[in-house]
Amino acid sequence: MKIKPLLLLGGVVVLSFNNGYAFTTKSTTENLNVISVLNEKLTEDNIVQLTRITGTVKDKAGLPIPGVSISVKNTKVGVLTDNNGKYIIDAEVGSILVFSFTGFKSQEIRIENDTSIDVNLEEMSTELGTVLVVGYSTKKQSEISGSVSVVTGEKLRDVTSNELSSLLQGKAPGVVVSTASGSPTSGSNIIIRGAGSINASTDPLIVVDGNIGGNYNPTDVETITILKDAAATGLYGSRAANGVIIVTTKTGKAGVTKVDFNSSMGYSEASTGNFKLMNTAQLYDYQSKFYTGLTPERLNNDTDWWNLAFRTGMVNSHTASASGGSENTKFYVSGNYYKEEGTLINNDKTGYNFRTNISQKLSEKFNLSVLLNGIFTKDNYNASGALYDAYVNLPFDPAFNGDLTPVDSRYGTWYGRDRDNFMHTLQYNTSKAKSLNVSADINLDYKIIKNLTFSTYNRGKLVNYRSDSFSDKRSKDGATNNGSASASTSYTNTFLTSNRLRYSNTFGKHNLAVLAVGEIEYGYAESLGANVKNLPAGRDAFSTATDIVTNPTSGNDTYQFSKYLGQADYNYDNRYFAVASYVTEYSSRFGSNNPSGNFYQLGASWIISNEAFFKNVKPVTSLKLRASYGTTGNAYGIGYYAALGLYSISSGASYAGLPGAAPSQKANPDLTWEKSKAANIGLDITLFKRIELSIDAYHKQAASLLFFRPLPATTGYNGVYENVGNVRNRGVEFNLTTKNFVKAFKWETNFNMAFNRNKVLEVNQGRNEVSNGARQPIAVGHDMDEWFMPVWSGVNPDNGAPLWENRVKDADGKEFLSYTSNYNAASRVYTGKSSAPKFTGGLSNNFEYKNFSLSTFFNFVYGNYVYNESRFLFDSDGLYESYNQMQLASGWNRWEKPGDLVTHPKPVHGRADNANALSTRFLEDGSYIRLRNVTLGYNLPTSWLTKAKINKARIFISGDNIWTLTKFSGTDPEVELRTGESYIKYPISRKLLFGLNVSL
Amino acid sequence: MKIKYLIAVAVVSLLITGNTACKKTFNPSTAIDENSALTSEADIETATIGTYALFKAEAYVRSGYFFTEYPTDEVAQGQNSSDDLSNIYKYTPIKTSSHAANFWSSAYKSISAANRVIEAIDDNASLPLRQLKGENLYIRAMLHFNLVRIFARPYSQNPTVNLGVPILKEGLTDDEKLTLARSNVNTVYDFIVADLLKASTLMNQPKSNSFASKEVAYALLSRVYLYMEKNAESIEYADKVINSGRYNLLSSGEYPTYFRGAPDGNKETIFCIRHIKTEDRGFSAIGSMYFSGDASGNALNQAASGWGEIYASKKLYDALNVNPQDLRLKFISPLTENGVVKLNNKITPNAPMYYINKYSLQEGIVNLSSPVYLRLAEMYLNKAEANAKISGKEQLALDDVNKIRTRAGIPILTLAGLATSGKSVLDAVLEERWFELSFEGHRAYDLFRNNRPLIRNYPGTGTSTNQIVQPGDSKIIAFIPQNEVDKNNKLIQNP
Repeated sequence: MKIKPLLLLGGVVVLSFNNGYAFTTKSTTENLNVISVLNEKLTEDNIVQLTRITGTVKDKAGLPIPGVSISVKNTKVGVLTDNNGKYIIDAEVGSILVFSFTGFKSQEIRIENDTSIDVNLEEMSTELGTVLVVGYSTKKQSEISGSVSVVTGEKLRDVTSNELSSLLQGKAPGVVVSTASGSPTSGSNIIIRGAGSINASTDPLIVVDGNIGGNYNPTDVETITILKDAAATGLYGSRAANGVIIVTTKTGKAGVTKVDFNSSMGYSEASTGNFKLMNTAQLYDYQSKFYTGLTPERLNNDTDWWNLAFRTGMVNSHTASASGGSENTKFYVSGNYYKEEGTLINNDKTGYNFRTNISQKLSEKFNLSVLLNGIFTKDNYNASGALYDAYVNLPFDPAFNGDLTPVDSRYGTWYGRDRDNFMHTLQYNTSKAKSLNVSADINLDYKIIKNLTFSTYNRGKLVNYRSDSFSDKRSKDGATNNGSASASTSYTNTFLTSNRLRYSNTFGKHNLAVLAVGEIEYGYAESLGANVKNLPAGRDAFSTATDIVTNPTSGNDTYQFSKYLGQADYNYDNRYFAVASYVTEYSSRFGSNNPSGNFYQLGASWIISNEAFFKNVKPVTSLKLRASYGTTGNAYGIGYYAALGLYSISSGASYAGLPGAAPSQKANPDLTWEKSKAANIGLDITLFKRIELSIDAYHKQAASLLFFRPLPATTGYNGVYENVGNVRNRGVEFNLTTKNFVKAFKWETNFNMAFNRNKVLEVNQGRNEVSNGARQPIAVGHDMDEWFMPVWSGVNPDNGAPLWENRVKDADGKEFLSYTSNYNAASRVYTGKSSAPKFTGGLSNNFEYKNFSLSTFFNFVYGNYVYNESRFLFDSDGLYESYNQMQLASGWNRWEKPGDLVTHPKPVHGRADNANALSTRFLEDGSYIRLRNVTLGYNLPTSWLTKAKINKARIFISGDNIWTLTKFSGTDPEVELRTGESYIKYPISRKLLFGLNVSL
Repeated sequence: MKIKYLIAVAVVSLLITGNTACKKTFNPSTAIDENSALTSEADIETATIGTYALFKAEAYVRSGYFFTEYPTDEVAQGQNSSDDLSNIYKYTPIKTSSHAANFWSSAYKSISAANRVIEAIDDNASLPLRQLKGENLYIRAMLHFNLVRIFARPYSQNPTVNLGVPILKEGLTDDEKLTLARSNVNTVYDFIVADLLKASTLMNQPKSNSFASKEVAYALLSRVYLYMEKNAESIEYADKVINSGRYNLLSSGEYPTYFRGAPDGNKETIFCIRHIKTEDRGFSAIGSMYFSGDASGNALNQAASGWGEIYASKKLYDALNVNPQDLRLKFISPLTENGVVKLNNKITPNAPMYYINKYSLQEGIVNLSSPVYLRLAEMYLNKAEANAKISGKEQLALDDVNKIRTRAGIPILTLAGLATSGKSVLDAVLEERWFELSFEGHRAYDLFRNNRPLIRNYPGTGTSTNQIVQPGDSKIIAFIPQNEVDKNNKLIQNP
C-alpha cells in the first residue's frame, strides 16, 4: 500500500523541476571526501563514542529537501531534516545512516571520520518504475500489461493553450489530435487508435482524479495517462472503446510549503501558409478576361479585408500555487488567469481557474481527500462574419468613408455578393458566452484490515452556461427586426459515487490484488432559450417593448449509468503478470430489453529481464512483453432516449399557435451498448539504461456499432438506432526515448509514431454504404473516411474546358476510361484517398547545459487528404465575379489559348459546367510537419536568488507553431481529421511568449 | 468479529451503490411516449396538430415551393447560386437534389403521422373525432397530390402507364412500408380523390382557413379533377366551394395587401399553411429569395432582409404592364434607383430586379408568410378552364375570367375581342391564371398538363435566354431522391 503515497508525492517531484527522467545524481561520497577533524566529546559515563554529524539533504536540482528521515540503522534513533534540508544527528562511528524519503531512493552511508555529510537523494522515477494512475488503482509502469502512454505536466505545457486536447497533440503515439479552428474559444478533437464508431462518439473517455468526467485546467495537471488497449482500459471497459484519458491533478507533499509563480505573456498572429488573396489590381486584371460587367470605378479602392479582420492578439497566462503539508495533511492550492485574444478581431477567451486539493490522514485507518475546482470562462465571438468576409469580400469595396467611419454596405454601390462590411457591424453587435464549472470530490479510504481497503469516491459537478448575441437595429443584421437578441442558458449537474473494495496480499512470490467496484452516475441538464426583437439601439436587455422572434425553448434531460466490476491482478515474482476484469454496466439510454452490457478484459506480461537467465545480458536494462485481449463499449454520441418511440411536443410539432405532438423517433427496445473487441501485443525494452523503446501492435474490431440506420421515408422516420455494423482498426505505434548525452551537457530525444489502417467490414443488412452518394459514404471494404467523388483530369488543352474521368464498363465488364467535360457524366468513384492520416507522430528534443535549456517539438501528419471546400468560392474560374479570388498557388496556371497544358480552366463568367463542383480537384494532400514549439529557458544562478529568498527562478522564451512544411494551398493544413474539410478556415495562430517561473 | 462486521458493511454498501436507483429509465421533457400519444380525444386532436406541423416544416414548405414555382416563366434567377434551387430553376435536375430529399421525406413523415390518427379513429366515432379523421385524410390526399405533381408525369400523359409515387395508406405492416413501390399515376389520383371524398363527408366543422374542412376538400377536388381533365366534376366542386357562402373575393381595395394581414380573417383564402409571428424563417423564408426591404414594404438592396436573387420575370412583368393599372403589379416591388429599375449585373444580360412581395410582410414581419394553397380566385379560374374545354360554355368561362379581371381593375374580355386577337378562350383562361395565380405554384402544371411548352425568353441564369421546355421533356419532373432509391430498391427512378 505504499504505492499511493508514492503517487501523491511522486508528482510533486515534477514541480520541483525535473523532467521526470532523473538519472544522474552526484555521488555522495565523491562530494564528501574531506575528512574533518574529529570533534570528540568524552563524558564520564560515555561508554559508546558518539559523533555529531551535520549536513544538508538536497535533490538532483540542488534544492534542499525538508522532512527527510535520517535514522541509524538497526536502532530507533532518527531525526528529520528541517526546512532548509539540514539535519543534526549523533551516531557511533562505524554505524550506518539511512536517508529515506518517499519518492526518492534511500541511501545508506557508513560513518567513518566525517562530521559533515551532505547527501543528494536520487528520485525513484525511472521509466519502468514510474507510478501510474491506471483507472481504479495505481501501478508501477513495469507491472502494467496494457498499452499505456504517459505525458507529464511539464511536457504537456510547452505549448501555450487552455485546452488539454491542443496540448496533447503529437505527445503520445496513437493519440491523434486535430483542430478545426484557430479560435481560442474552440477545442480540438482527439481520436485514439483510429475511429471505430460510425454514428456514436469517437471521443475518448475522460477520467479526472479517479472518477469518470470532472473538471480540470491544464495548469493543475500532474500527469496524463492514456489507456489504449483493453487490458489498460479494463475497468472503464464499458465506456472505453475509444480509449481513456486519465487526468491526475497535483497534490501537495509533506515538508516545507512551496510557492510557485508561473507567468507567460506574448502575442499571436494568424498563420497564412501558402495562401494569398488578390488585391484590386490583380483581381481587376483577372476579371477583365471574362467579365463584361467590369467597370473602371472598381479600381478606386484596394481594401485588404484580411488585414482588417485579423490582428496581433495578446496572450497572458499567470498561475500562482502553494503546496505542502505534513505527514498527515497535504495540500495544493492554485489560481490561474488565462486570457488569449484571437487573431480574428473581437474574439477572445478569458479563463479563471481555482483549485484546492487537500488530503488528511484522519487516523491510521482513515484517509480523507477533498478536491475542489472552479473554472470560470468568458468567450467573446466575432459577431460580424468577419472571417468569411476576410476571404470573400472584394478589394473593390471600401471599408471606410472619407471621414474614416465604416461604410454602411447596405446602401449605395457595393460589388461584393453579400453586401457585408464587418467593420460597420462590429461597431454595434456582440456575441458572447460565459460558463461556470464547479466540481467537488470527497474521497475516503478506509483500511479495514492490513490487506483490505474500502474506498468511496464521490463527486458532484455543476455547469452553468449562458450565451448572448445582440444585433443592433443600426446594423445590417439587426435592422429587419428593429434590433434583435438571443439568449440561452443551461444548467447541468452530475453526481457520481464510486465505492471500492480492494484486497491485496503477498504469498511468497505470489502477489495478488482483487478489486470490486460499485458505481452510479446520475446526470441532469436543463436549458432555456429566447430570441427577441424590437430593442433600443445599444441595449440588449429585454424590456416591455420586447417582442419575440421565435418561441422560447426549454427542456430538461436526465440519464443514469450504474455498474459493477471486478478485477484480479496477479504477479509471480515480478516476472509474470496477469490481469483479468469483468464489467457489467447499465445505461438509461438503452432499450428496455438490453439496457446492460457485459465486458471482459484479459492481459498478461512477462518481464524477461527479471529472469535469472537474463541477468547477464548487460546491454539490455529491461525487457518486457505484453499481450491483451478484451471487449470494450461505447454509450456516447447517441441521444439520451435513443431507444424510445416518441412523439415530439416541441414547438416544431405545433401548428397555428396550438400545441401538437408529432412522431419523432422510432422505438428500438433492443438497442444496447456498442461493443468492440481489441487485441494488443507490446514490447518495452531499455538498452544501456539510455534507450527506451515501446512498440505496440493492435487489432480493434467494433461489432454491433451504434448505428443510425436510415429508413425509407415511407416508414415515417429518417431512421432508427440499431446495433449493426462492423469497423476494424489495425495499427502499429512506437515510442522511443533516447538519452543522447547525460553529463553536463544533456540531450534527450523522444520520437513517437503511429500507423493506423481502418476498414469498414459491414454496415447493415445487405447495404454497402452508410451515406450513399456522400463524399465520405462509409462503405464496406473501404476506409471509413475515404473520399468518393468524380476524378478531376485537368483541363482540355483545346478549349480550356474542365475534364473529369468517365469510366464505362462494356458488356464483358471491361472498364474503359475516357474523359468528359460534362460533369453529370463524370464517374463518381472511391478515390483511395482518405481524410484519415496514414501516420502521425511527434519528435521532441531537449537540451540542457548548465543553466540553459532548449526544447524543440515537431508534430507531423502524413497521408491524409483535405477537401479544400472554400476554393469553390475563391478559386471559382469566373463563376463568382462577386467574391474575391485567391492568387494561384505555385505550380498552378490558367488556360489562355489552345494548346495550353494547365491546371485551371478558362475562366467563364457564371459558368454552368460545374468546374468547381465536388471533385478531386479540390482534394489536397493534407500532410504537414510543424515546429509546434521551441522553448529556450535559463535558470537564474542560485547565488543571485538566495539573497532574495528565492529557491529557483527561470526565464524562458517560447514560440508555438513557428514553422510548417506542407503542400496544402490554404492558410493551414490542419483540419478536423474526421470530416477532413477546410472551409473558411480560422487559421491556427503562431505565438511568441516570454515567461517567468519563480519558486519560493 | 468487528472486522468481519466492517467488511460486511463495505460489501453491502457496494451492493447498495448498484441497486438503489439501479436501472432507472427516464423520459424526455420535450416528447411523449408513443404508446400514450393517441389514447384520448384530446390526444388525437394534439396529434392532428402534429400532422399539420410536419408539413409546416421548412423542408416541406420551402423545398416543395421551389419545385412548384421556380421552373416557370414567372420568375427569373438574377444571379448564380450554389444552392440546389438553381438546378430546379434551370431544368438541370440532379438525383441527389437536397430539396427533393427534403420534400419527399417531410411529406411522407406527415402522411405517416396522419395514418396513425386515421387508424385510431373509427368511421362511426364521435363528431369531433370524425372531423379530425377527415382532416388527416385531407392532409394525406394533399400531400400525395403534391408528391405526384413533383415526381411524376402529368395525368394527361399516359396515367395508367407512367409511375406515380408510393401510396402510403393506413394499416401497412413495417415490412410493407420498407419496400413500398410506386403506383401508377392514375392509381395515385384515384387514391387522392377517394380520400378527399371521404374527408369531405367526415368533416363537419367550419374551421379557420389554417385547417381542413369540408370546403377545403371540395376545393382541392376541383383542382385534382381539373388535372384529371374531369371538367364537369371540377366545375361541380368549384361551385360547391363558391356556393358554400364561406368565401368572397377580396375587394379591389383590399386585394393589393392580400398577403400582408393575418390569414385568419381573409375571406378569400380557403387553405393556407399558417405561420404565426414566431415562425419567421428569416433568410430561409420563401420571401427571402424574392425580396429585401424594410417592414413597411420598401425595397432595399440585396441582403438587407433577404437574398433578393429571384425576380418576377421580365416576361410576366411586361405582360402585366400592358395594363399598368393591373392591381397584380402591386405584388411586384421593383428595386429602383432614382426612379429607374435596378439591374442585377451579376449575369449578362442583366435581369431587372423585380422583387416579389407575395411571400413577405405578413403582419408587418418582413420574411413572414403563410403560403396560400387554395383560394377562391382559383375556384373561379378552375371553373373557367373546365368550361373553356367544354364546347358551348365559352362565355361561362369568360364570365369567371372577367370576375377576376374586374377585381384586378383591368378591362373585361369578350369572345369577339378574343376572336380578333386570335386567342382561344383557353388561351385567355391560362393567361389569366398566369397573372392571377403567379408565384403560387400553378404555372408549370397549367402549361404542361395542357400540352403547352414553357417559354423563357428573358434574362435569367443559365446558358440561354431563350429556353423552350416541351411538356414531354423528361426534365419537367424531379428525380426520386437517390437516397430513397438506395434505401428501398422497389423504387424505380425516373428516366
